[in-house]
Amino acid sequence: MTISVSHLSKHFQVHQKEPGVIGSLKSLVLRKYETVKAVSDISFKINEGELIGFIGPNGAGKTTTLKCLSGLLYPTNGKISVLGFNPYDRKIEFLKKIALVMGQKNQLWWDLPPIDTFLLNKEIYGIENEKYNIVFEELTKLLDAKDILKVPVKKLSLGQRMKMELMASIIHSPKVLFLDEPTIGLDVLMQKKLREFLKEYNIRFKATIILTSHYMADVEQLCKRVIIINFGKIIFDGQLSNLIEQYAPYKKLSVIFREYVDPKKLDKLGNISNFQYPKLIINVPNKKINSTASSILKNFPVEDITIEDPQIEDIIEKVYTQEDKRKK
Amino acid sequence: MKKYYIIARNTWDEMLTYRVSFVMWRIRNIIQLLTIYFLWQVILPPGKTLLGYSQSLMLTYILGTSLIDSVVLSSRTYAVGEEINSGNLMNFLLRPINYFLYWFSKDIGDKAMNICFSIAELTLIFIILRPPFFIQTNPFYILFFVFSVILSLFIYFFLNFLLGLIGFWSPEVWAPRFIFITLLGFFAGSLFPLDILPKTIYEILRFLPFTYLLYFPLKIYLGQLSFLQIASGLAISIFWTFAIYFIVKATWQKGLKSYTAYGR
Repeated sequence: MTISVSHLSKHFQVHQKEPGVIGSLKSLVLRKYETVKAVSDISFKINEGELIGFIGPNGAGKTTTLKCLSGLLYPTNGKISVLGFNPYDRKIEFLKKIALVMGQKNQLWWDLPPIDTFLLNKEIYGIENEKYNIVFEELTKLLDAKDILKVPVKKLSLGQRMKMELMASIIHSPKVLFLDEPTIGLDVLMQKKLREFLKEYNIRFKATIILTSHYMADVEQLCKRVIIINFGKIIFDGQLSNLIEQYAPYKKLSVIFREYVDPKKLDKLGNISNFQYPKLIINVPNKKINSTASSILKNFPVEDITIEDPQIEDIIEKVYTQEDKRKK
Repeated sequence: MKKYYIIARNTWDEMLTYRVSFVMWRIRNIIQLLTIYFLWQVILPPGKTLLGYSQSLMLTYILGTSLIDSVVLSSRTYAVGEEINSGNLMNFLLRPINYFLYWFSKDIGDKAMNICFSIAELTLIFIILRPPFFIQTNPFYILFFVFSVILSLFIYFFLNFLLGLIGFWSPEVWAPRFIFITLLGFFAGSLFPLDILPKTIYEILRFLPFTYLLYFPLKIYLGQLSFLQIASGLAISIFWTFAIYFIVKATWQKGLKSYTAYGR
């Protein structure tokens, strides 16, 4: 067991301020505090080498959880164990085995080339020359970074800088990697490369990775298991395929007709989600997909027909909104 | 520890990327120095003394403050407050590195660069102006002078760090710093030797840490203090070094607690 979290809660005291000068003066004299339950009573376990997608809407408690796991935040309640350590102690042996990469925080020396930061990290983590060289070569190749290693960081583009930030963060080959929005601000091509890299890293270094992201493509392509969190609570923890079965036990059937079709005739096919001649989109339960498809082909003049899995975005949205309703 | 050496070296490299602004800053220093230098030269013509200072002693004092200024009164820890506020502090908490030593190493890199420039500048001034410089030959005084400079270096480092730690509680880290810099210019004795002030005021200043940043080391160098005065002065600066160190340590622990409990 690499990570085990039981009944973790994290509450913040946030002080409230009314807008304007009077509000500021008021808050000087009388401070109102409100308790915000960023995370309340969550538990999960993660095994070595797992690559987990940690998803939820803004303010759901993802980053707070990652900060607790990496030892930046002291939990209000509950127990955390990462690699057998209590993260908050921030023991050197623990720090040498983890990394937290945050899309919006940088550790590179702004005026110097990235390689200077790497060399510093080499000393900070006490990496031996031989091992450093191997990892360095490998990461350079995987990230395709040879040309930018010696360019001052301030002259790099955002995507290049993200690559270098990532490289600086994992030059000590951490066993546990927490990634908070690693693909934020990157173009589609870079996102893809970064995903491939993470997959490769996960396999090659047998690293345990937890990843938060707003891009479902990240999660879909990288993670077998997802944990969905909302309002500080876990609402789903399991295989991505189970999530699809549970929340979307249907397939998306799109048909393009050759000739005009009377909409009334289509009604009996089932739950039509959109019909605008010539295109029909219909959600069909998994079991009925064969019969529905063949009946369409038999009874209507079809130009083209495709069967797709529902979009992961749609499913996640469904999960969130269901939870919202339950809340209310 | 090699990591701290590399931090110092990186800081040095970093400064070299802003060569122009660094040179400009040094030029500003020289002009400031020359202003005070000529002022005192007019006030105190050769052969006269003022409150126990001959021209050569006074000019040595003024040039000496400039040198010590660049060794002692230069610290990059002003950025600590910003790092706390921006959340960049997290990067350090998550790596096996001592945050104090990190900044101390940065300061060493910074100081090394400043010392090089100061020596070059002073040599130039020496060659051009040929000031009647007082040279201390007694090894006893020189030894205590060096010791006292090292102490003042630590006092200044901790004081500055402490100001940076305000960032844990307030985003306004600059206002207190400006007040601090203004007070320092006066109380540390960078404009004039403190003992030309009325005796009662000096007696109060004697117990503040600022006195030991510039004034005290230079007085030792000039050989104007008795053994007893040196001993009591060193005792007071050692006291302040440890006192401020413990205050910084406690403040850091407290700040870290609120930082990690409330997050950012």
